[in-house]
Amino acid sequence: MSSILDCLTSNQGHEPGLPPRLAEMKRRIRAGEHHPLRATESIDVLSECEAEQLSWPRRVARLTRRMCEAQAVVIDPDERIAFTRTVRRVPPIYSDAAMRSLLEGRTVHELGPISNICADWGMVLGQGLLARRKTACASRDRLAGDPEAVEFLDGAIETIDAVLALARRYARGARELGRHDLAELLERVPAEPAATFHEALQALRLCHSVLWMSGHYHCGFGRFDQYLWPYLRSDLAAGRLHEADAEALLAEFFICLNKDSDLYPGIQQGDNGQSMMLGGLRPDGGDGVNPLTAMVLRTACAVALIDPKINLRVDRNTSLELLASAVQLTRLGLGFPQWCNDEVVIPGLIAAGYRPEDARNYTVAACWEFIIPGKGMDVVNIGAVSMPSAVDRAVRAGLAAGEPFARILDRVAADMAAQVTTLAEANRRLLLPPAPFYSVVMDGCLERGRDLSGGLEYNNSGIHGAASSSAADALAAVRTLVFEQARVAPDRLLQALATNFADDEPLRRELRDSAPKVGNHDDRADALLAKLFELFADACAAAGGNGRGGRFRPGSGSAMYYVWLARGHEGMCEPATGATADGRRQGDFFSSSLAPSPDATVRGPISVLQSFGTIDYRRICNGGPLTMELADSLFRGAEAVGKVALFIRAFILSGCQQLQLNTLNVDTLRDAQRHPELHRNLVVRVWGWSGYFCELDSAYQNQIIGRHVYGN
Amino acid sequence: MTGSMTGVIFDIRELTIHDGPGLRTTVFLKGCPLRCAWCHNPEGMTLAPQILHNPNGDRVAGRVYRAAELSTLLNRQAPLLRDGGVSFSGGEPLMQSAFLAEVIDRLVGLHVVLGTSGFAPEADFQRVVSRCDLVLFDLKLMDPEAHRRWTGVENAPIHRNLAMLAGMGKPFIVRVPLVPGVTDTEANLRAIARLVRALPGTPRVELLPYNRAAGGKYAACGLTWRPGFDETTDCRANLAPFHELSLEVSIL
Repeated sequence: MSSILDCLTSNQGHEPGLPPRLAEMKRRIRAGEHHPLRATESIDVLSECEAEQLSWPRRVARLTRRMCEAQAVVIDPDERIAFTRTVRRVPPIYSDAAMRSLLEGRTVHELGPISNICADWGMVLGQGLLARRKTACASRDRLAGDPEAVEFLDGAIETIDAVLALARRYARGARELGRHDLAELLERVPAEPAATFHEALQALRLCHSVLWMSGHYHCGFGRFDQYLWPYLRSDLAAGRLHEADAEALLAEFFICLNKDSDLYPGIQQGDNGQSMMLGGLRPDGGDGVNPLTAMVLRTACAVALIDPKINLRVDRNTSLELLASAVQLTRLGLGFPQWCNDEVVIPGLIAAGYRPEDARNYTVAACWEFIIPGKGMDVVNIGAVSMPSAVDRAVRAGLAAGEPFARILDRVAADMAAQVTTLAEANRRLLLPPAPFYSVVMDGCLERGRDLSGGLEYNNSGIHGAASSSAADALAAVRTLVFEQARVAPDRLLQALATNFADDEPLRRELRDSAPKVGNHDDRADALLAKLFELFADACAAAGGNGRGGRFRPGSGSAMYYVWLARGHEGMCEPATGATADGRRQGDFFSSSLAPSPDATVRGPISVLQSFGTIDYRRICNGGPLTMELADSLFRGAEAVGKVALFIRAFILSGCQQLQLNTLNVDTLRDAQRHPELHRNLVVRVWGWSGYFCELDSAYQNQIIGRHVYGN
Repeated sequence: MTGSMTGVIFDIRELTIHDGPGLRTTVFLKGCPLRCAWCHNPEGMTLAPQILHNPNGDRVAGRVYRAAELSTLLNRQAPLLRDGGVSFSGGEPLMQSAFLAEVIDRLVGLHVVLGTSGFAPEADFQRVVSRCDLVLFDLKLMDPEAHRRWTGVENAPIHRNLAMLAGMGKPFIVRVPLVPGVTDTEANLRAIARLVRALPGTPRVELLPYNRAAGGKYAACGLTWRPGFDETTDCRANLAPFHELSLEVSIL
């Protein structure tokens, strides 16, 4: 409890709850004081690849090796976990023309290199890289007659040697600086199995950084508290480490994850997938929560940086105390933890063909997509189905043809199936590049002599089901106002949609205000939301195999598609949408992932849980969070944290799958002043009551903004 | 639903923080006999639905519900409100006591809290309180003249209902809004503490500090915000009068 109170106190002042050494380290990193240490020149790997006519797998291995070799040794005088990236860019290993011809007729996923999967970090720390090397050598002997295996294994060994050499150089550098503590650490790991918590963190820092240096991205940490707790437990038991020391090490580890992250590619700065998962069931079905679970939450609270991004697995047995300490993090306004409901996620994964022990071991990829550490080569975001487009095209065609509502639903089904088919066909041409070092840290690649790009245990493809609430609202408006109540003539609606409501604002308001909306626990809208996901799941099931031994997994996330689908985006294959029958004007944003439509009036968070709890998530197992914003004024009272913890419990009971609970900050409130129409549901706590922010006079809005400056 | 009474509700809010224990949904009943100078819910004063004129458009405050309809809505939330329940606030919920009693009678498996000014005919008070699990009872000003001046009504009926409540054996909490220079005075808090001390069962006391955004909705209601006290002064969260009489007190 004392740590929770510390966290509360630290949030109210200006200083984070970090010891001075770490506060200073955080300041230096946030200020980018290490950036001048970065080399200005890019390294050239391409020339030697061409000169030696290296194969693709060997080029990627060479890239890892040269990147490791090019890193300068940087050791801050007071740091206890070393590694600072000094080479900015990952250089090309093929000329543009050569790459184009390699990819002729194939589909590339995003930037190309393997991304968005999760290593088996527990295995890597437990074995050490020398043991991995030994495994590779043994396979090489056994598979000497298999040229593909030999080539892969030689590359993998090259990357292991490169990482070990980098660690040795760091160890020597530490010795020269008189940092014998750090030198001893780096002489042991990541070569040997980690023996202590400190060694495990150091090994993890180095190996994780090498993944990024090899061109991979969205590299996460998986079930952090599960694989690190044994090290911490034995340190604590042996008296090698006290809890405060452990927290300081953990805090330093978290801070250093923010060191190089500006070099990591993503759609927006911060979109880097340095995610970690806490809590949840163990593979054997027992409760995985351990003392490190709460320690990570406390530490993340004290560090208060955007990385790592925390996820917490929960079920109805999760203690209120743990929920409350996680809510302290929510209160900070960082946008995490994201909550995953084991009671819903695990059965969904099992239904999708994951073995129960693997399903229980799930983590998330960069955002929310469920993957299995070490075993998943799922490509979880091959694109999105635009639910509003499917509905809009069906509504326009169906009404024009004078069809009944059931026929419009048939059209929605056909449209979504066509969208899935388009994505599936492109995905069957997917070319995954070789990834020798990533293969070292996954399960079975070295053992089988096969690169992970050839497939792992699970090889599914994930498709987002984007902007579902607007789609459901549009269907609900048509069914209710056009068909059941006959208040709106089909021609009038068609005309209004064609002209973006330019001449019929009264109709737009009627669609917006008089039709049922998702988020109010109103079956008239919720049943259609559930129906859309059912049709989406049917479409994915019917799409068959993905050509990599997997199938297509439907999800409920939107990623950036809530903007792209509304406004269009260059190169996007998904259809953009004009004005829609829920009263949304062309160009207005959709909701992110699962959330009521931006323009809908919504009763409150309980009703939102109940609306989204109607989706059958057993068939929607790619993930995608219910997304809710809380005004940070809600957290003024001492009771609020406990109330929000109870709300998390209600989320678990609601049958929803995943929850992203955000605390709004001052910037959002300012945006609400400029664009009140986008923030109709933004609630603030004033005095023993809640009000809509946009309904307060501006003077009172400013007063609240003034009050909130301290909060975040 | 025929035969079910109707009532006017101006808001239903979920995940309310200060309306009772646990996870709660609060129903705000429209209409109040008091006119407290610091009222933060001016749209709860009159019984009839009204149009609020906001800069971003109009909104109707107040919707007529049948008791059966409202209780169905609340009962549907019951599975998620296991760790809490439903609260009735306002306005003054006892202004619609017959309707409220019917709503509560129709609730299934929900913990019920009543938040009241205590200003109501005894029969109405008793009818609703007997159906609740917990009462949050406001005490504002002990001096009768000051009470008239700042709330527009006598405090004698409130004190009679409080005494009756204490005699009913129903769990309750006394709540004091701290309004700077009005209710937060030493003399007023001492008088409240003495009254509470003398009640059977010695209930807990909760102090609610005045918040400066209270006047935010007046313009929308067509009213002028004239608090009549200096709202720029911080209210004094003075716990001493309660501690001295060994009362359990907290600040919300």
